[in-house]
Amino acid sequence: MISLTSPVETWAHRWPAGLKLGLMSLATVALFATEDPAILGASAVGVALLYASAGTRFARAGARQLWPLWPFLVLIALWHGLTGQVAAGVALTLRLLAAVALANFVTMTTRLSAMIEVAAVLLAPFRRLGLSTRALEISIALVIRFTPAIARKGGLLSEAWRARSRRRPGWQIVMSLAALAIDDADHVADALKARGGVLPIPDTDQKG
Amino acid sequence: MAPFDRPDDLLRLEDLRVAHDGRDVLGPLTLDITARRTGIVGRNGSGKTTLARVVAGLQAPTAGRVTLSGIDPAKDRRGALDRVGILFQNPDHQIIFPTVEEEITFGLRQQGRSKAEAAAAVTAILTRFDKLHWRAAATHSLSQGQKQLVCLMAVLVMGPRWIVLDEPFSGLDIATRLQLMRHMARIEARILMISHDPESFAGYDRVIWLEGGALREDGPAAPVLARFTAQMRQWGDADDLSHLAG
Ligand SMILES: Nc1ncnc2c1ncn2[C@@H]1O[C@H](COP(=O)(O)OP(=O)(O)OP(=O)(O)O)[C@@H](O)[C@H]1O
Ligand SMILES: [Mg+2]
Repeated sequence: MISLTSPVETWAHRWPAGLKLGLMSLATVALFATEDPAILGASAVGVALLYASAGTRFARAGARQLWPLWPFLVLIALWHGLTGQVAAGVALTLRLLAAVALANFVTMTTRLSAMIEVAAVLLAPFRRLGLSTRALEISIALVIRFTPAIARKGGLLSEAWRARSRRRPGWQIVMSLAALAIDDADHVADALKARGGVLPIPDTDQKG
Repeated sequence: MAPFDRPDDLLRLEDLRVAHDGRDVLGPLTLDITARRTGIVGRNGSGKTTLARVVAGLQAPTAGRVTLSGIDPAKDRRGALDRVGILFQNPDHQIIFPTVEEEITFGLRQQGRSKAEAAAAVTAILTRFDKLHWRAAATHSLSQGQKQLVCLMAVLVMGPRWIVLDEPFSGLDIATRLQLMRHMARIEARILMISHDPESFAGYDRVIWLEGGALREDGPAAPVLARFTAQMRQWGDADDLSHLAG
């Protein structure tokens, strides 16, 4: 789900990260404050328009990223259909879709370094207490950067499996994937260390 | 470039030893290196990468001492930042960030440069390599050679006095390799390069040949490389691939 920043440059790329994250938080709170399917439906349409405004290529990439959500949405629909709460089911589905799509939109249009800067600003009070928040900022960056990388590794592993087996890969590749992830973590640790490791950087221009 | 010709740019290894899991893989090694271009050759598993990691301070030696332009690179990480940069054997292990710009900026910010200074330096290095259009490119979408070049720019931009290159040409096609070699020839910093290809050491001053973690030969590039190549051919005729170290 967590995607890399889209290489397709859109208007939203030029908005400040803090503003986008702030608006997204407000919108998410609003989405969870209402039960009205009409408002939720309008919000979902609004988010879809947001994607559309960024161009077809961007919108298609976004849709691809959201696609893995469908089993959850089907599950929710089935459950509410079976228990007879159709309106509540529709509301929940629309809300979930709108909120996740919005978060994905912000991720796709915001550079990782801009996200880290917002985190740095939010963590400023801790720095004033004398704590170094650099490790946390870099951790956030790494989670965003490596989630898709590990997903890709999983895909490669199951390809390596299928190349030599007629059956679909199952739980057997989990251990290998875990080993790969640990191996990756080792390499990133080296890459960080090669450029100084987790050094506190001067506070003067972290905001901005 | 005057700042790069400091007399104190000396890499000194004193009775250096490295063990992995209790097994000696490198040393004892005692060497002084001041040459502008030094090559490191040796068979697979002879300890080349281990030496590179110790010089770059990524790993502390098990025993002995490393002094690089006046500091211990494993202990003084802040000092190591502008003294040594390393290009990993695999660029995928080196790239941390999703875009070229962020990848190159990171090291500069680590050196304590301001955002504006860092942005200017990124522009300068991209311009120097004629790659300004790579700025916003996604690092994961680059080819192997392009990734290698991004890593090189990310290291160069920090202005280290030493650059350690671990097989920078493996997996590159001939044209890409020649281009990368041309870029490297223009680097003012001192270079320590590991390679399996004798031709990649054109213009090198000195070559160090490691064998089983020990120094086999050390001297002017051409004669050492000639003997190394002859020996490799001889070994190539034998079959020692079945031998497991340990
Ligand atoms: N992290 C490690 N743990 C255990 N042993 C290691 C580790 N890293 C390297 N070794 C061992 O140390 C020895 C030297 O490895 P090194 O990677 O330095 O060789 P190399 O000369 O770079 O080889 P290549 O040409 O294949 O890259 C090898 O026998 C290797 O198995
Ligand atoms: Mg190696």
